[in-house]
Amino acid sequence: MRAVNPLMAVVLVAALASSWAGARLERVADDSSIERELLLLPNGKHLKVASLGQAPVLADLIYLWAIQYYSSYERADRFRYVKHVFGEVIVELDPHYIDAYWMGALILIVEARDIDGGLALLDQGIAANPDEWLLPYLAGWEAYHAERYDRAEEYFAAAEVIPGVPVYARRTRIGMAAAKGDHRRAYAMWLGILQDPVSDAGTLDIAERQLRHLKIKIDIEEIQSWVEKFRSENARWPRSLNELVAARYIDALPIDPLGRPYAYDAVTGEVAAQQDRVLSEGA
Amino acid sequence: MLERHPSALSSIVAIGLNTFREAIRDRVLYLLLVFALIIIGVSRLLSLLTVGDEEKIIKDVGLAAISLFGVLTAVFVGVSLVFKEIERRTVYTLLAQPVARSHFLAGKFVGLFSVLLLNVVLMSTALFSLLAIRGESPWPLLPAVFLIAVELVVVTAFALLFSSLTNPVLSSVWTFAVYVAGHLSWSLLLLKDKVPEGIARWVCTGLYWLLPNFTRLNLKSHVVHGLELPDGYIGLAALYGLGYGVVVVALACWAFSRKEFL
Amino acid sequence: MASEVAALSIAGLRKGFSGHLGIGRRTAVDGVDLSIRQGEIFGLLGPNGAGKTTTIKMVLGLLRPDEGEIRMFGMPSSDRAARARLGYLPENPYFYDYLTAREFLDFYARLQGVSSADRGPLVDRTLERVGLAGRADTALRKFSKGMTQRLGLAQAIQHEPDLVILDEPMSGLDPQGRREVRDLILELRDSGKTVFFSSHILQDAEMICDRVGILKAGRLISSGLLDELVSDTVRWFEVMVAGTLPAGVESEREAGRENEHLVRVPDVEALRELLDLVHAGEGQVVSVWPRRDTLEDLFLAQTLGDKPGA
Repeated sequence: MRAVNPLMAVVLVAALASSWAGARLERVADDSSIERELLLLPNGKHLKVASLGQAPVLADLIYLWAIQYYSSYERADRFRYVKHVFGEVIVELDPHYIDAYWMGALILIVEARDIDGGLALLDQGIAANPDEWLLPYLAGWEAYHAERYDRAEEYFAAAEVIPGVPVYARRTRIGMAAAKGDHRRAYAMWLGILQDPVSDAGTLDIAERQLRHLKIKIDIEEIQSWVEKFRSENARWPRSLNELVAARYIDALPIDPLGRPYAYDAVTGEVAAQQDRVLSEGA
Repeated sequence: MLERHPSALSSIVAIGLNTFREAIRDRVLYLLLVFALIIIGVSRLLSLLTVGDEEKIIKDVGLAAISLFGVLTAVFVGVSLVFKEIERRTVYTLLAQPVARSHFLAGKFVGLFSVLLLNVVLMSTALFSLLAIRGESPWPLLPAVFLIAVELVVVTAFALLFSSLTNPVLSSVWTFAVYVAGHLSWSLLLLKDKVPEGIARWVCTGLYWLLPNFTRLNLKSHVVHGLELPDGYIGLAALYGLGYGVVVVALACWAFSRKEFL
Repeated sequence: MASEVAALSIAGLRKGFSGHLGIGRRTAVDGVDLSIRQGEIFGLLGPNGAGKTTTIKMVLGLLRPDEGEIRMFGMPSSDRAARARLGYLPENPYFYDYLTAREFLDFYARLQGVSSADRGPLVDRTLERVGLAGRADTALRKFSKGMTQRLGLAQAIQHEPDLVILDEPMSGLDPQGRREVRDLILELRDSGKTVFFSSHILQDAEMICDRVGILKAGRLISSGLLDELVSDTVRWFEVMVAGTLPAGVESEREAGRENEHLVRVPDVEALRELLDLVHAGEGQVVSVWPRRDTLEDLFLAQTLGDKPGA
């Protein structure tokens, strides 16, 4: 019995020391040591070898992690490795992972505001999946929103000829030609798809998202035009958007799809949307 | 006349030495060691396939091999050692000696870990030599190897704990499960935020703190990319790992003292 | 010579095992009381499955009793000091393949706390005692069954324990081996040690035990001095007669060979009568065997419920 006590004391000390060290490490490790490791993921080609035939599962897991990672907004500077993670790791492991292409492109375009990067990723996907109409179709829409209408037209032309592409997609190219910059026309097209009974869940999702984008553009255009009118009639920018309502230019201010009012800069007279959070809404 | 019973230290040393000698004779040990050395050699070939940093492949594969084969050895050799002794009743006469059961298990741990340490040293020597031949300094890898050894302390302790509780197949399975869970414990933190408030969150937090967090002991990518570590990190991580190991060994000693030999 | 304190005392020992998946419960040892005096040889006998090994394991601390108390020389059996005075040989022992006999005994000597200076000579002495001096440096994997048994005995007695516990020490040995083990046990007793062994070879027990206990289904159904349990008087005579039997004599049964008959007579008188009759007739007496109660008779009677004799 006597021999037990010093031993128990040692064990207790070890347990305490370990917990203390663990807690300290927890604070230290917050400096993204975990993320850093994962961000410095080896090239997908090597991972593929290491995965011993489980490459698609590995792609899934990394994708899962990536989604979680990129949807936590507290981390600054989190876009440094988006292209690497999506373009060089996940899709290398699984070149037919369609979700990864367009999700990565979305993050790049909307969050990191890197249109070219996003389109490049989609190009990668198109090259690897020539039978997948969705990728050039989405690329077309992104190009449209970036006001690169010629490029958009190219994408839609490509999408059109892929066997299995749905009817409304084919209409897009025609609509695109007419609608260069005409957001209301585009809005109407997407509305049609949303109401089309043959649209599947994935497409409805995309339709809703596009509609939101377009509504924002339309609303801004409208408010902006009223702001301009106010200026031309009053030789100054309105002090706030509410002044437009007070002065009876508009009956009511439109709000964005998340229910927030639009931002307005009284110095430059610019109307804009509040910071978009694509990933958190209706994923 | 004859001494009546030995000191704790001398019995632990005697059993440790005996265990070491026994483990050295396990053929599985050599199989794993040779395989690991082959893999390290093959990494040299793999490096031909890559573009850019060839040494990175050798370092990555080398460290992964040391870690993985260390764990495999700890589990298979460790579990089979205890099992063989019990199965063949060698342990009966040993337990009849005036040696406390906890000392007996501690001696087993010491012997087993010595073999593992030897393994790590051998594999590291091979890796370091390979790098040195190619003109690359291997010493920056040392902290990672050191913490791999610390990781093995914990895994070995678990292997002995489970061997005292159940049959060899389940022991191996449980030990591997702890190893995998320990490497994925960070996902519990991610899960905690996604799970609704209440018991589930407490479970996630609890498990996270309870399971060994092997990510903290994993410096492989740090040393390969030459990333800077915060001051005193290695010391803290070693303290964490070794302290944890001591607790698990104590648990194993307790489990072994309660064991009935049918 | 024997002091007051019992070498080994077991009181109210009980042990049960739960069946597979927790269904059912089997009582292996069901209330065993026994006491062994210092300096005596005690044999625990019984059929297979009676609980002998379970009892011994509980004495050694390899199993925990559900109930009961075990004391060695007055100390609780779990004390390390008690185990220091104990030597043990399990049934069908098996030792590390790769050690030599010398290394093996040296290891055990270490665990007994023998200093490094004393270990060498002690090991040599022990090897001599069990007759393995010539094989000191042979690897254990090359040992025959008999040699392994002797080595097992060696580690059990090396440290001069006061109580030696042997579980089926004679099992698997040839008659030569069994004789050697018997001699060793007697030697131990003569040097003041106490020996407790279990066996199902009754003849060996009969030859050397001072006291026996018979275990059946976990219960000690008989225990006491051998001399008291098994009397020395002749119960009957068995006579083997060759050739034709004299008239009026019935044979108990036919013996193996042709023309041989086994006749039983109850006492010396009847024996003389029979011998005269045979002598007078054409038969021949081949052998006369005075039958006493053996331990085997007692054993069979107790375990099967028949009375010894006819």
